[in-house]
Amino acid sequence: MGLQRIILQSRGQHLSQHHTKRRLVDFRLPPSHEEQVEATAAMEKLILLWLKCLILCSTVEAVFEDQVGKFDWRQQYVGKVRFSHYDTHAQSSKKVLLATENNVFAALNTRTGEILWRHVDKTGPEGTIDAYLQHGQDAVMVVGNGRLLRSWEINVGGLNWEVVLDSGSFQSACLVGQQDTVKHVAVLKKTALSLHYLSNGHQKWIENLPESETVDYQAVYSGGNGEVFALGVVSHSHITIVVYSVEDGEIIKQISVEAPWLSDIQASCAVVGQGILTCVDSATVSLYMLDLHEQSQMTQIPLQTLGLEAAPGFHPTLVSTQPNPARPPLSEFFIQLGPEHHLLLQLSNDQIVTLRDFKPAMLVSFATTGEKTVAAVLSPKNQTASSLNLFSAETGRRLLDTTLIFNMDPNGGKPEKLYVQTFLKKDDSVGYRVMVQTEDHTLTFLQQPGRVIWIREEALSDVVTMEMVDLPLTGTQAELEGEFGKKADGLLSMVLKRLSSQIILLQAWVTHLWKLFYEARKPRSQVKNDVTIENLSRDEFNLQKMMVMVTASGKLFGIDSKTGTIVWRHYLDNIPSNAAFKLMVQRTTAHFPHPPQCTLLIKDKDTGLATFHVFNPIFGKKSHITPPTLPQPILQSLILPVMDQDYAKVLLLVDDQYKVSAFPSTKNVLQQLQDMASSIFFYLVDSSQGTLSGYRLRTDLSTELIWEVVVPTEVQKIISIKGKRPNEHVHSQGRVMGDRSVLYKYLNPNLLAVVTESTDLHPDRSFIGIMLIDGVTGRIFHEAVQRRAKGPVHVVHSENWVVYEYWSTKPRRNEFSVIELYEGMELYNSTVFSSLDRPHAPQVLQQSYIFPSAISTMEATLTEKGITSRHLLIGLPSGGILSLPKMFLDPRRPEIVSEQIREENLIPYAPELPIRSEWFINYNQSVSRVRGIHTAPSGLESTCLVVAYGLDIYQTRVYPSKQFDVLKDDYDYMLISSVLFALFFATMISKRLAEVKLLNRAWR
Amino acid sequence: MFHRERSPLLWLLLQAAVAATWCFTDMEAGPGGAGVATQPNGEYGFKIEGRAVVPGVKTQDWVSTARVLVEGEEFVGFLRTDGSFAVNDVPPGSYVVEIVTPNFRFEPVRVDITSKGKMRARLVNYIKTSEVIRQPYPLQIRASGPHSYFMKRETWGWTDFLMNPMVMMMVLPLLIIVLLPKVVNTNDPEMRKEMEQSMNMLNPNPELPDVSELMTKLFSGSKGSSKASSSSSSKGTRPAVKRR
Repeated sequence: MGLQRIILQSRGQHLSQHHTKRRLVDFRLPPSHEEQVEATAAMEKLILLWLKCLILCSTVEAVFEDQVGKFDWRQQYVGKVRFSHYDTHAQSSKKVLLATENNVFAALNTRTGEILWRHVDKTGPEGTIDAYLQHGQDAVMVVGNGRLLRSWEINVGGLNWEVVLDSGSFQSACLVGQQDTVKHVAVLKKTALSLHYLSNGHQKWIENLPESETVDYQAVYSGGNGEVFALGVVSHSHITIVVYSVEDGEIIKQISVEAPWLSDIQASCAVVGQGILTCVDSATVSLYMLDLHEQSQMTQIPLQTLGLEAAPGFHPTLVSTQPNPARPPLSEFFIQLGPEHHLLLQLSNDQIVTLRDFKPAMLVSFATTGEKTVAAVLSPKNQTASSLNLFSAETGRRLLDTTLIFNMDPNGGKPEKLYVQTFLKKDDSVGYRVMVQTEDHTLTFLQQPGRVIWIREEALSDVVTMEMVDLPLTGTQAELEGEFGKKADGLLSMVLKRLSSQIILLQAWVTHLWKLFYEARKPRSQVKNDVTIENLSRDEFNLQKMMVMVTASGKLFGIDSKTGTIVWRHYLDNIPSNAAFKLMVQRTTAHFPHPPQCTLLIKDKDTGLATFHVFNPIFGKKSHITPPTLPQPILQSLILPVMDQDYAKVLLLVDDQYKVSAFPSTKNVLQQLQDMASSIFFYLVDSSQGTLSGYRLRTDLSTELIWEVVVPTEVQKIISIKGKRPNEHVHSQGRVMGDRSVLYKYLNPNLLAVVTESTDLHPDRSFIGIMLIDGVTGRIFHEAVQRRAKGPVHVVHSENWVVYEYWSTKPRRNEFSVIELYEGMELYNSTVFSSLDRPHAPQVLQQSYIFPSAISTMEATLTEKGITSRHLLIGLPSGGILSLPKMFLDPRRPEIVSEQIREENLIPYAPELPIRSEWFINYNQSVSRVRGIHTAPSGLESTCLVVAYGLDIYQTRVYPSKQFDVLKDDYDYMLISSVLFALFFATMISKRLAEVKLLNRAWR
Repeated sequence: MFHRERSPLLWLLLQAAVAATWCFTDMEAGPGGAGVATQPNGEYGFKIEGRAVVPGVKTQDWVSTARVLVEGEEFVGFLRTDGSFAVNDVPPGSYVVEIVTPNFRFEPVRVDITSKGKMRARLVNYIKTSEVIRQPYPLQIRASGPHSYFMKRETWGWTDFLMNPMVMMMVLPLLIIVLLPKVVNTNDPEMRKEMEQSMNMLNPNPELPDVSELMTKLFSGSKGSSKASSSSSSKGTRPAVKRR
């Protein structure tokens, strides 16, 4: 029944196929052409046969084992670090454990920075790591706003146990120890406190918190004496402290203390020393202290009495440390009084003593090894460097030889967090290494005296958009180009110029040879293939490109596509957290004296206000061109094929007043725009209103509404709109059918695929709609509805087809549907396509298939001239990237095979699309959480460059029709030459023999 | 020289036939029935349990790279150090449970959870969605082997060369051509006529321009051989004439 349903759904297909057949009968060519047709038909047959072999080969396309790592690479990331602990249970351990904002828990090797193992949880709030506690070899974490409690074994990277916690929003968690051993973990929720065994996660007891409706319980603390403290606050009134017995969960004591100034315990309080709750208040500029065991009154100590002063408008914070959860915290703690002002204080006999004043100090942190606790303080040194020093926590004395210089990247962010790993040296002094986290999510691991061991650019775990830019030519190549570019000025000078450029080429070749020879003599390990801006140049086939990547944090990267080396990085600070990015290449490297130029449009999603960042994509430097300031919210931006006198493509921006501005906006550009205005159309989408409207540019750069399509928002909402890629080429105008006629493709460059989803999400009433609409005229060519289907919908729109994927609710499976558009047997106007002059609506064919997996993202391959057959690149949740031949998604796949169809090489219809493991282009290099796949053409028609990004980045090349334009890398030169020689000798011998025979016969 | 001219086309036809048969093998069987409908009632708290085994590989060597995916990435579970797993907090419904590792292949299993919490596992069948072939529950999933991501390089050997259909097609006619004149007298005009007829029958598409013929024309023209021009009248007999 499933099969029948699918076929019925694609009603359009049957209708139009019928239509096609009728047209076939009518189709006749003028008789005068008959002979020519015969000849071409014969040639076609040959070509077809040849193509058949090609296709047959292409469908078994896969990676060869010896190609591993030859032209592909993968980089794995974890995301912005939220919690980090060093593996301390073994002195020689080389592990650092990270729990990140991307819901990833990973272990890194501290010597190399490589990932030892990594666990990627679900995205979104259900996988959020709320708390991370470490004890010995166990890493205990609370996940999904207190949904689950998990314990990991950090050596192997396997799960110890996982338990479901009772519902309620998570507040805090801590390890609970008794008599120097830690056996339990306490989890505080909004209404209850529970205690779990560390060994198996079983719940020892759970107790409801008293008066949880009024009291906001925020923190839990245990000092290792068999008691667990739950600390709650009634905002601007009092603190409630409930003391539970570890043994049975009985309430030992419950007190409430006046604290009208307090609203947030986590932000302003810390437990110091023998269970003294210490809080700081910015309004009264005082420290408040409360002994959790005895007192019922807070003692106020104004900061002035300690000789301290807080920076105006700054909320002071406290940092304490509890090295062993079975023992109370240390009595030393930090107070931060200003953005760059920290103090180390000590609490002794109810007296607060200032041990040391750190000013300026950007960051402070405690670290413990064995019995020694040290304080690490990072203070600025000069503009680009800062120094880190260790101080004894007990005395505040600086430890000798512990200075470490941290050189800050001028294109990076400020340091944000310190993770110090201390160890005892042989002479009992403290040595350390440190991981510095900066605002741009970079992790730098350093050791004394400032040697960088590794750097991880964790911003790359969140790539938003990217472009691949051609590398510039080298100096010699540019010289050659220049020769042809200039106007001819006399024969002699031309000859001289040619000679000089040839000499330059020869020179370059000799130096290259010399370098090869020189490097061959050196041992292999010493030869370094460092990629720098200087030695980056375009290769023969333009396979090496610059990947410009934009990350959500606002850091931009330039990555060499061949090796994956980061060539440049640039951090844009003050990027709004909900920014939308659009990257555009305004000028490529093809216009030599002018530098290439990329423009990044950064738009605040809330206000709609946008800013520009114009830069050189090869060097990453900010351009000296001042982009226009945009006072109005921007609705749409479009890049035109029009260029200014400096070969920069024109960018049009439409603001909320429907006024258009251009960048660059020179006189030349405005003149060109005026001339072209009547042929510039654009569309705007408002998914909240459900409107899709088309506009036309007027000569005075105002706009006029031409058409509007309203999708009623009560029924359905627009979820995605896909146009075609502007750099796409289609080589073949039509398809040759079995009877030698041609079915012409409908290649409308202005076609938009609009996908809508029903607002009613009930499985029986939900649906997915797709609408094909012309962006210029607003004419709707086709509408299809998939009943009992829901999103997420992934769409690929290319050439004359649209492929989309959705979830079918009734049979509970993913389905693919393909729509193809054809002009018919005749082409209306074969030279140029105009949306305004196409009287015939295209024929629409549609077919659906089952896909046996969920998908994450989808993209089509792209090649230089569009001759190569297309594949769909599908990112799966398992991390594989599947290269599915488009041939499988062809609405002309027949149910009954006839002779003609066999001739056309169509695969008979099968409801389920196959997934073969040879089709995974990334073999076992799985890419976690693929969010996007970027395809770019190379200089070779057969080769398409692919970058998949998500949590990881994977770059490779694909050959959808095999490498038909270059010799394969396993080409057997030996065989071919030996065969040639053998044939040559065979002819020689046989010629001789034939001569002898002829001679003999002549004599006879 | 007859075999040289015919064999490329024959070979192509053979390839086409292979292509067609290959297409047929890809077909799948017919229609299915309606799916099982269990109403999710929004009550969370069910647990999908099971154990995964990779025969011959220690669990600690692969569990850190493995994940349990329930219906894509809707629910995610992790493997314990002994290979067992539990996906917590799953509402009633029907789910495809899959264990993904980059190196080993596991078959997916469909798990149905009723609103009362009754569980059953069955084979995944996307076409006949209601078909029930029971699987053990708690799940017992064995790896069906390592993923075969790579294609084998074609290595060159003498046997490959000899068993190549192209070579076979070359060798067999060669034998016939060498042996036939010894058996049959080709000078006999009747015999020659018969052969001519059979040659014409072998050529199904007379409008096809014969590549080899074109080539011989081209080359013979340049060399100015008188023998080739005489043979062009009938391509069927040409080899015979040439040989004589």
